[in-house]
Amino acid sequence: MGSRRLVAILVGLIGLLVVAVVIVAVMVTGGGTGTTPAAETGPTGPTTGGGELRLIGSDPPTLDPAVSEDADSASYIVEIFSGLVTYEMAADGKMSIVPDLAEKWDLSADGRTYTFTLRAGARFHDGRPVTAQDFKYSMERAMKPATLSTTADTYLGDIVGAQQVLTGRATSAVGIEVADDRTLRLTIDAPKPFFLAKLTYPTAFVLDRTNVESGRTWTSRPNGTGPFKLIEWQLGQRIVLERNPNYYRGPVQLQRATFLLAAGASMTMFENNEIDVTGVSSFDIDRVTDPTNPLSKQLITCPGAALGCPQFDIFYVSFNTRTAPFDDPNVRKAFVRSVNVEQIANVVLRGLYVPAKGILPPGFPAYNSALKPLGFDPEAAKAALAASRYGSAAGLPRIVLTLPGGGATAPGSVEAILEQWRTNLGVDVQVQQVEFATFLSQLNRGAYGLFSLGWIADYIDPHDFLDILFYSQSNQNHPGYRNAELDGLLEQARTERDEATRIRLYQRAEQLIVDDAVWLPLWHTKQYVLVSQRVKGYRVPPFVIPSLKDVSVGR
Amino acid sequence: MSGYILRRLLWAPFVLLVVSFVTFFLGLYGPGDPVEVRLGQRYEPELAERLRHELGLDRPVGQQYLEYVRKVVRGDLGESIKFRNRPVAELIFDRIGVSVQLGLVSMALSLAIGIPLGLIAAMHQGRWLDTAIVSTTLLPSAISVFVTIPVLFLVFVRTLKLLPAGGWGGIFDVHIILPAVTLALAGTAGVTRMMRASSLEVVGQDYVRTARAKGLPERLVVGRHILRNALIPMTTVVMLSLGSLVEGAFIVEGFYGVPGIGALALDSISSRDYPVLMAISLIVALSFVVANLAADVVYSVVDPRIRYR
Repeated sequence: MGSRRLVAILVGLIGLLVVAVVIVAVMVTGGGTGTTPAAETGPTGPTTGGGELRLIGSDPPTLDPAVSEDADSASYIVEIFSGLVTYEMAADGKMSIVPDLAEKWDLSADGRTYTFTLRAGARFHDGRPVTAQDFKYSMERAMKPATLSTTADTYLGDIVGAQQVLTGRATSAVGIEVADDRTLRLTIDAPKPFFLAKLTYPTAFVLDRTNVESGRTWTSRPNGTGPFKLIEWQLGQRIVLERNPNYYRGPVQLQRATFLLAAGASMTMFENNEIDVTGVSSFDIDRVTDPTNPLSKQLITCPGAALGCPQFDIFYVSFNTRTAPFDDPNVRKAFVRSVNVEQIANVVLRGLYVPAKGILPPGFPAYNSALKPLGFDPEAAKAALAASRYGSAAGLPRIVLTLPGGGATAPGSVEAILEQWRTNLGVDVQVQQVEFATFLSQLNRGAYGLFSLGWIADYIDPHDFLDILFYSQSNQNHPGYRNAELDGLLEQARTERDEATRIRLYQRAEQLIVDDAVWLPLWHTKQYVLVSQRVKGYRVPPFVIPSLKDVSVGR
Repeated sequence: MSGYILRRLLWAPFVLLVVSFVTFFLGLYGPGDPVEVRLGQRYEPELAERLRHELGLDRPVGQQYLEYVRKVVRGDLGESIKFRNRPVAELIFDRIGVSVQLGLVSMALSLAIGIPLGLIAAMHQGRWLDTAIVSTTLLPSAISVFVTIPVLFLVFVRTLKLLPAGGWGGIFDVHIILPAVTLALAGTAGVTRMMRASSLEVVGQDYVRTARAKGLPERLVVGRHILRNALIPMTTVVMLSLGSLVEGAFIVEGFYGVPGIGALALDSISSRDYPVLMAISLIVALSFVVANLAADVVYSVVDPRIRYR
C-alpha cells in the first residue's frame, strides 16, 4: 500500500473524529459555544444584579469553624461565618485588626480582660440577633473534647479555664463571661498582645446552637453571620454562596460566588471566560507578564510588589540541631553560607518569589529590614566547616536532605541548593522525597537531620513564627533548637505590653536564630492571580481573610 | 445455571472479606497516620492521643477490624476522617456515579468506532484497508494520554473554542465530550483488534461458506452470520471491563476537572482516610465480582453451547 494512501486515510479518520466531536458539541450545546457557566441557573433562580463570581475551589474538609484547620476550609468559612474581630487590608496592603460582630472592645488595666460590646445589628443568616451567649456557647463547644478541634487549644487556650474544658474536666470556661446579651468578657491567663489576633481565626467564630444541634451534617445548611450564605454544596462539583440580606453592614454587592470544585485547566478556563479568577503557575507566568499580551492587564498587582501578591509564609531548609553533624553550629553556618539563595530565587525561580533574609516575611509585624543575615560567602563557609569538629567535608557523615513530595527528581530549586553545597563546600548531600503522611510522621519523631519545609502564618503576630517554631518547649520546634537566651526573649515578648519594646524583643530573637543558623531561610512566596476585567474589588491578601465582600461583577 | 450463579454469589462475601482484610491491615501497618496528617505541622502528642482515642484508632487492631466489618454488614461504611462528619457513602457514591457515566460513554464510543472498524478490517484482511485501520487505531492507544489530552485540548478548546476547558455537567452535558473521547481513543484499538480477530475466526467457518454458497447477499452474510457470531467474545470483554468503570480514570478526570472517584481515591491514600479507602476498595472489588459473574451469565445467554454446572 502506498504511503500517500495511508496518510490520506489517517487524515480522513482524524477528520471524521473532528466532525464527530463538532456534531456532538453542537447537538449538546444547541449551537452555543459550549462555555456556558455551569451555575447560570441554580436553586434560587437566575442571577439578578450584583453579578456572579466564578472561581476554582476545592472541597473543604469541613465548614465547621470550630474544627477548621486548613486554608481550604477557612477560605469558605470566613465568608459564611464571622467573629468578634477580623482583619482588614488597607489600600497600602497593611493588615489591621478591626471590629467585626463586636462594635468595640475595652482592655482592662492589667491587660487580661477584654470586654466586647456586640453590634446591635449583628444577626445570623435567619435574622436572629447574635448574643454574647452565642459566643460563649461557640467557644466552649470548640474547647470540648467531643468536638475534636485541633485548633481550640492554640486559639482559645489562653482563656482562663480553657484547659479544664479542653481536657474534659469542666464544661464551662470561667474566663468567658456573659454580662448581658450584648456584652462578652474574655479573661486570659496573662496579658498577651497577640490574643486579639487569635480571635480572628475561625475557631473563635460564633455559631447558632440550634443550627449546630440540628444534626451531624449541620454544615450543609449553616446559619452563619458572614456576608454570604451557603446555598449549594455538591460534593466534588460546586459550592455556591449567595449574599446574606441580614449582614450587619447591609447586603454586599456580589450576588453570588460559585466555586467549581473539580475544574481542570484553570488558565484555559479563564481564557475561555469559564471562570473569573485564576492563579497563574510558573509555566504561564512569562506570557501573562508579557506587556503585549492582553492577559497582563488582568494580572492583579499588590501593594509592596511590582509583580504578584506577597504571602505571609516562609520556605526553608532546617537542620536538626540535636543530632550530628548539625548539632555543631559551625556545620550549620557552613551549610547556610555556602548557598546563594538570592541567585537561586532569581535564576531558578525566575524572581517569582522573594528571597528570605530572616524568618519573618516582609510586611509582617516585627519584620526587620536591618536584620543581618549570615549571607552567602563560600570562603566563610569553608572556614566554618574547618572550625567545626569535623574539620572538612571529608570528615562529615553521610547527609540526606528530606523533603515531602514524590517523583524521580527533586525540584530545580532543591537541585540548585545541592549543587551549591557540592561546589562551594565540597559536600555531596543526597536527597530523598517522602510521601507527605510518612514525612510528617517521621518529622514528628525527629528522624530527619536535614529537611525542607514551609510555614504559613495562622495569625499576624511574630509569636506565630518565632515562638511557635523556635521556643524550646514548642512541639513545632522541629529543629529541636534550645537556646536559653532566645527562650528568655520569647517569654518576655509574649506578655510585653509596650508594642515598641515587644517588636524589639522579637527582632533580637530573630537575629539570634539567624546568627545561630537554625534554618537556611529560602523564600517567601507570591501569588500571581488573573482577574477578569468585569470584576471589581477583588484583592489577594497575604493571608486568609474575608475577601469577597468588596467584590462586584459587571456584565 | 442458577446453581452456578448462587455458588458464585455465595463466594462474593469471602472475596470482599479478603479484600477488606488486606486493605485494612496494609493501611494500618503502612507508614503514616491520619491523625498526624490532620495535625500537620501543628502536631502535639497529647492532642494526637486524644484524637486517636476519639476516632477509635487506639483500640486493638483486630477489634477495629471486626467493628468495621460489623458496620459494613449493616450497610454503614463509616465517616470520613478527613471530611469531618461526612458519611463515606455520601462522599463516594456520587463520584462513582460520575466515573461510571464517563466510563460508559467512552466505552460506547470505543465500541461504536471499534466494532465496525474491526469488522471492516477483517473483511479486507491483508489488504491496505486492513493495515490502515489497525495502524490508525493503534496510534492513539500507543500514545500516552499525557500527549492526547494536550492535543485535543489545543484543537477543540484553545483553537476552535468549541468545548469548555473543564468541569462536569452529567452525561448529557458538553463537558463530557473531551474526557470521553480521550478515554475512547485509548480503548478503540483493543476493541478493533479483538473484533477483527473474532471476525476472522468466524469468516472461515462452514456456516459462512454455506451462506455464501446458497447465494445470500453479502450484507446479510456479514450482518447475520459474521457480525452476530463475532460479537460473542466481545460481550465477555465488555462485561469484564464494566467492573473497572468504578475505578475512575485519575489522569483524565484530574485534567478535565471531572469529579470522579479517581482523585478521591488518591487523596484518601495521601490523607490516610482509611474509611474512604476501605469503601472504595470494597466497591471496586464488588464491581469486579459482579462484572465477572455477569460476563459468565451473558456469555451463556448469547452462546447457547456454553453451560455452567
